[in-house]
Amino acid sequence: MTMRLLTAVLRTVRDSRRLATGLVILALMVLLAVFSPLIVHSIGHGNDPIALAAYQKWLVPSPDHLLGTDQFGRDVLAMVVSAMSVSLQIGAIAGVISTVVGVIVAFVAGYKGGWVDGVLSTFTGILLVIPTFPLLIALSAYAKNVSLFQVGVMISIFSWPFAAKTIRSQVLSLRSRPYVDLARVSKARDLEIIGTELLPNLLPFIGVGFASSALGAIFGLVGLEVIGLGPGGVIDLGQIIFNAINTGALTLGAWPMFVVPIVLLTLLFAALNMVNIGLEEVYNPRLRGVAGE
Amino acid sequence: MSVIELQGVEQRFHARGTPDGYLTALKDATFTLQSEPPQIVSLVGQSGSGKSTIARNILGLQKPTAGTISFDGKDIFKLSRAEYDNYRRNVQPVFQDPYSIFNPFYRVDRVLWKAVKKFGLAPDRTKGLAMIEESLDAVSLDPAGVLGRYPHQLSGGQRQRIMLARIHMLRPAFVIADEPVSMLDAQIRKTFLDILLDFRRDHGMTTLFITHDLSTVYYLGGGVMVINKGSIVERGAVESVMHEPSHPYTQLLLDSIPQPDPDQRWTNRIHVDDSGTQTPDSAPQEPVV
Repeated sequence: MTMRLLTAVLRTVRDSRRLATGLVILALMVLLAVFSPLIVHSIGHGNDPIALAAYQKWLVPSPDHLLGTDQFGRDVLAMVVSAMSVSLQIGAIAGVISTVVGVIVAFVAGYKGGWVDGVLSTFTGILLVIPTFPLLIALSAYAKNVSLFQVGVMISIFSWPFAAKTIRSQVLSLRSRPYVDLARVSKARDLEIIGTELLPNLLPFIGVGFASSALGAIFGLVGLEVIGLGPGGVIDLGQIIFNAINTGALTLGAWPMFVVPIVLLTLLFAALNMVNIGLEEVYNPRLRGVAGE
Repeated sequence: MSVIELQGVEQRFHARGTPDGYLTALKDATFTLQSEPPQIVSLVGQSGSGKSTIARNILGLQKPTAGTISFDGKDIFKLSRAEYDNYRRNVQPVFQDPYSIFNPFYRVDRVLWKAVKKFGLAPDRTKGLAMIEESLDAVSLDPAGVLGRYPHQLSGGQRQRIMLARIHMLRPAFVIADEPVSMLDAQIRKTFLDILLDFRRDHGMTTLFITHDLSTVYYLGGGVMVINKGSIVERGAVESVMHEPSHPYTQLLLDSIPQPDPDQRWTNRIHVDDSGTQTPDSAPQEPVV
């Protein structure tokens, strides 16, 4: 069973170049994030390269410090690597929470219908129109010393309705398909129909929901960092950009401090979108080649 | 012997814009289907007359607002577990649209394997596969040509015959066929009808054949019920209803069959107004200005 699933996934990836590219970039970034403690350690040669005054300030890129150092003499490469791990973590936390909540709400509302749908949809709608960012600012200003996980939860409170809304409308359209009727006369139970008939067809939408929540969270954290309300003691990509802007790093020749985090964020954005579009291509039979590719 | 009995079945739907807020799709439908002797009963009516609603009611997909549907004397919405299994096993559908009946995510084999597994038709995979191949053979499909394919790689006729293969495997006492040929082209249509007739002869299946096309009814023979605006207005053997229609609506349906005679085209005109009411008119038409 696992073998079959694995070969199916492999075949899917092989068939779509977009999906493969997106996944490879994403995988590389995740690998980099997972091994970030090791990388940081090897950069510091035993010392902490992100400690204040670890090196001289404002060193330009050189073989010793590939991306130079910042205003406190910290190694920028080491900072970027660990910051990316933080950014991916917040994306994963918020993405998983809001996708799970969104999918559950969407399926209950869409499949059950009636008053259950009415209540859930109204609630989703209310959350959807609340301006998220000002409220995030208020929340993080109120809660002192928030942790990374708490920020993730705060961001996902406001990002699940988006996923729920799109998926619910799809469930509504899919549940009246004849193949659902056929499953019912074949003695399939509600949960089985949701899991095996509806869910696979919604994977692209769930993927889109996950990616947009994750991206929203990553950029939300960047926004919070810029105004100094981010979680204490962690450096994410946003904070590096913020430092670069604040200290005028570009004029001091420390361009990597500004350019590298932005390139990484752009790459992440592109990779997630490529995965989305690729999934759509694979699961939408109309975009598939006729008669066996 | 099994019996499906409909007693005063009524189906209303919430509908905005109607005087009382409801649309009555089906009114006081009462009839019986018996598995002995196997028969083919056609249900004829135009779009929106309530034919598909009857099918959904009998299949237990839609609970009627009034009246009872019973299988072997028991209400199908109040069955015990064993009775439910028996009812599902013996009342199976062929749906209208051969395109959306397959989940595009899976290969077509799944529909057949699902039947094998859910109804415990075969003890192991080898026996199951043999069974699937035999059933595909019975509906003149080449197993090698369809197994392992995705739905969008097969034609409408092939897909609809896979649904028939599923019926062949399950051998239900009743087949509820809801306009199964309306989306098939002419020669596939005849093949399909012949398979249904074979099933009745060889496996004793009783079919409720829902259609808007009287020529297929004529071909199948057996009994016929005519439904108009939710009410069954006429019933009887195909021959008597076709030759001596007693209800004006049946006469109209008969007049609606295109005649392969160019001269008749100008003498037998039919008016269809927006409410779906038709009036036969043999007098020459006023030219439309």
